[in-house]
Amino acid sequence: MNAPINPDLLERAAALQGMGDSRLRKEDARFIQGKGHYVDDIQMPGMLHMDIVRSPVAHARIRKIDKSEALKVPGVIAVLTADDLKPLKLHWMPTLAGDVQAVLADEKVHFQMQEVAVVIAEDRYAAADGVEAVIVEYDELPVVLDPYAALAPDAPVLREDLAGKTEGVHGKRDHPNHIFTWEAGDKAAADAAFDAAPVKVAERIFYPRVHPCPLETCGCVASFDPIRGELTTWMTSQAPHVVRTVVSLLSGIPESKVRIVSPDIGGGFGNKVGVYPGYVCAIVASIVLGKPVKWIEDRIENISSTAFARDYHMDGEIAATQDGRILGLRVNVVADHGAFDACADPTKYPAGMFHICSGSYDIPAAWCSVKGVYTNKAPGGVAYRCSFRVTEAVYVIERMVDILAQQLGMDKAEIRAKNFIRKEQFPYTSAFGFEYDSGDYQTALDKVLAACDYRGLRAEQAVRRADPASPTLMGIGLVAFTEVVGAGPSKMCDILGVGMFDSCEIRIHPTGSAIARMGTITQGQGHQTTYAQIIATELGIPSEVIQVEEGDTSTAPYGLGTYGSRSTPVAGAAIAMASRKIHAKARKIAAHLLEVGENDLDWEIDRFKVKGDDARFKSMKDIAWAAYHQAPPGLEPGLEAVHYYDPPNFTFPFGIYLCVVDIDRGTGETKVRRFYALDDCGTRINPMIIEGQIHGGLTEGYAVAMGQQMPFDAQGNLLGNTLMDYFLPTAVETPKWETDHTVTPSPHHPLGAKGVAESPHVGSIPTFTSAVVDAFAHLGVRHMVMPHSAYRVWQQLKESGVAL
Amino acid sequence: MEVKLDKRYPLDVDAVRAWTLLADVPATAGCMPGAAITEKIDDTHYKGSVKVKVGPANAAFAGDIEVLALDELHQTLQLLGKGSDRGGSSASMKLTATIEAGETAGTSVLAGQAEVIVNGKFAQFGGRLMVQVSDMLLGQFVDNFRVAAAALPAPQASAAAATAIGAAAAAEPAAVAPAKPNEINALAVFWHLVKGWVAGLFGKRA
Repeated sequence: MNAPINPDLLERAAALQGMGDSRLRKEDARFIQGKGHYVDDIQMPGMLHMDIVRSPVAHARIRKIDKSEALKVPGVIAVLTADDLKPLKLHWMPTLAGDVQAVLADEKVHFQMQEVAVVIAEDRYAAADGVEAVIVEYDELPVVLDPYAALAPDAPVLREDLAGKTEGVHGKRDHPNHIFTWEAGDKAAADAAFDAAPVKVAERIFYPRVHPCPLETCGCVASFDPIRGELTTWMTSQAPHVVRTVVSLLSGIPESKVRIVSPDIGGGFGNKVGVYPGYVCAIVASIVLGKPVKWIEDRIENISSTAFARDYHMDGEIAATQDGRILGLRVNVVADHGAFDACADPTKYPAGMFHICSGSYDIPAAWCSVKGVYTNKAPGGVAYRCSFRVTEAVYVIERMVDILAQQLGMDKAEIRAKNFIRKEQFPYTSAFGFEYDSGDYQTALDKVLAACDYRGLRAEQAVRRADPASPTLMGIGLVAFTEVVGAGPSKMCDILGVGMFDSCEIRIHPTGSAIARMGTITQGQGHQTTYAQIIATELGIPSEVIQVEEGDTSTAPYGLGTYGSRSTPVAGAAIAMASRKIHAKARKIAAHLLEVGENDLDWEIDRFKVKGDDARFKSMKDIAWAAYHQAPPGLEPGLEAVHYYDPPNFTFPFGIYLCVVDIDRGTGETKVRRFYALDDCGTRINPMIIEGQIHGGLTEGYAVAMGQQMPFDAQGNLLGNTLMDYFLPTAVETPKWETDHTVTPSPHHPLGAKGVAESPHVGSIPTFTSAVVDAFAHLGVRHMVMPHSAYRVWQQLKESGVAL
Repeated sequence: MEVKLDKRYPLDVDAVRAWTLLADVPATAGCMPGAAITEKIDDTHYKGSVKVKVGPANAAFAGDIEVLALDELHQTLQLLGKGSDRGGSSASMKLTATIEAGETAGTSVLAGQAEVIVNGKFAQFGGRLMVQVSDMLLGQFVDNFRVAAAALPAPQASAAAATAIGAAAAAEPAAVAPAKPNEINALAVFWHLVKGWVAGLFGKRA
């Protein structure tokens, strides 16, 4: 029998608002009052403004840049081109992926809207006028947009700066437009499985180029103090510490004199991981002119030139038995990286964590190969809501499993259940070498199927399919995804040689309140709320009196930043570990104050008490005061700790998503009747914030699957770079979301937490495709390319002969 | 983005006068709404400008025009124009225009094929309107062209008639080009689109 619940304990625990509490977000008070502080809110005396001259063409040689007219525009102070940056060796810069990128186009432009020159002026209007007055003459070159065409023997050479370089950072380059080929798994074993298998399916799964389009675009204010020799830059960055290192290396200013501050950030989704030419130019301009320089991108610039997502052409193949047991998997990818390789993957993994593509299934033999290719498109590949290609991996495996089920006439749920990694197999090592920490897929699947009455849905679908007069087609999508997040263990993961740990520093003040500083940076995730909850539970201090600070490299400990759902798995663990250091010291102080041995104390919610005597205790508040004036002899005063957490492994959140759609046979409009998302992210720190993250991720998933696209015409013009064309769902379009969860803690994480922000995005996109294709499955359709916009679905209706 | 146009416009002007005007590159350019030849470099090379305004896309292209062929025998003019706009757009056009005899006396046909490539902001904003706008532009061009050609002295006209029209006008054909808006009228474009849309609704040819 459990002991009776003590109301006093419950009350004390509730007062802390610790882990598990749906505490309201501390950030919202300022955001809903319009009191957030973003980069563009920064005003400084004498601040200048920068605007960028961009190429209207996608591939051309620059014949001449004439800046004389621009310099005559009233208010224009300076115009910089690649030639001006050359003496500083800053006309090219390293990317986070080991390639180089032109800061300002050097003799050639490689994609439309590439940065060609910058104009610095006294105000934003003069800068824009100056940009119009810069005359650039181009000699156009043939444009290459298709990565397969880029690899043709006679394809135009895009990157002349790499001429003759047959060895890239990630191995051999066998064509001037080839960046790398990366493989994982065992090809021989996979080939053997295919040779012996009775059933094989293959399909080209294209994941089109999209852009996360955060509400706030990128920008910075660079301020160099020539007297002190110090550079401060406020910047929209998801990884300010890494940026500081890069800036120091590029500029030669000691890292101690470079300060990067990420203030409030209006959404990142991977778009704000990289270092963009605009940042570099603003910093250079500030150093040269000795004045603060502000650069803020507009929407068109953001969509056209900053980090895109996906653009993966994936040839998936599955080998299986007649009864649907998967024997082997092969995936061959051609990845369109655009003009420069500007991904931000760990050095060893140029395709990120794509080798999670064996998914939630126990597949004995698997192999994948990813070939990165240059084209005349903007660089990026870091975004979105998954920096490490997990979205693509989950998309290809889930599509292929659906296709296999269709080929065998099996049910989607049944084939998944048949191939799941079973609960007792964890920790499970996949054919690609990942060690999955924990999972219980079958329980989650059963819960979703029961909640949605899956059998009932299938029965309804059968009736509808049998009725030729039905005005709609009904589709049921099902996905069982496994994510890999929490990059990452430094033995496997580094960026520019810096291990992908993260950090936390906690100080408990004498009166018992606290401040925590972190190496991560929130962009809407609610770190200020959730991080405080971890400390509250670990140290018995109310969340309300715990301040969380991030983003200022001069105060926060070094960290790799926030992307790839790494904040909770890595920084969250650092908080727990730093708290535990403080906890250990607090125990010593409590023992001293209570005049007992440390082992005679029990920890209870917010206090150490003498075993068996509830009346003799010291609260954390008492201990904090004592730490500053009556520390035990031999113990240094104060109560603070720093921890750098290097995770032993990744974490593997998972989920089961089900979607029901009704497609109008007259218009092709797809109505999402139901979307049921069950997520398992291990221990849940703030259920309300998790819910919010899932709602956001599902909405962005809906956007990608149903409407977002970046179409290029033959000349390389991006035809979808304004919000007139680019689909951002609002409350009007967004379906209603139903959420659910199971809890399977991570065994290696100090809190058992796994991270959640990317899961709903990664999981929902294949679910929508699965549902839309399912509506046509009885007509022999196996796959449809996103986005499933009304027009494209209507085209399928026509092709299948079922349009009304 | 690329638009290919292949059009035939009947003219109520005889082929001789029509060809006379077409062969006069500055005068022909002057018939294009918003366009002008700004400098003659030599007989086959000119500098020119075009102003176009479509909704949010406002472009003033300045560039080079090269006469690739001026074929008296086949009454064919071939031009290559390339230009860029300061607002971040660029465009090129390859145009082949031929004057053919009309079905009845005193008429002719202006046949034109053009390949227009537009890059940058103009393509991105204005892309969806390109075909309609091009149609309308050419329509206005042909109207202007017809008026200007008709103002030329008729080939069989008596000397008296020619005198009556005015020697100055005959000597300077470009000078009699009709008054025209110096840029494309956005409202007119809009009206043209609405008309086309309404016509489309009722199943007529837009």
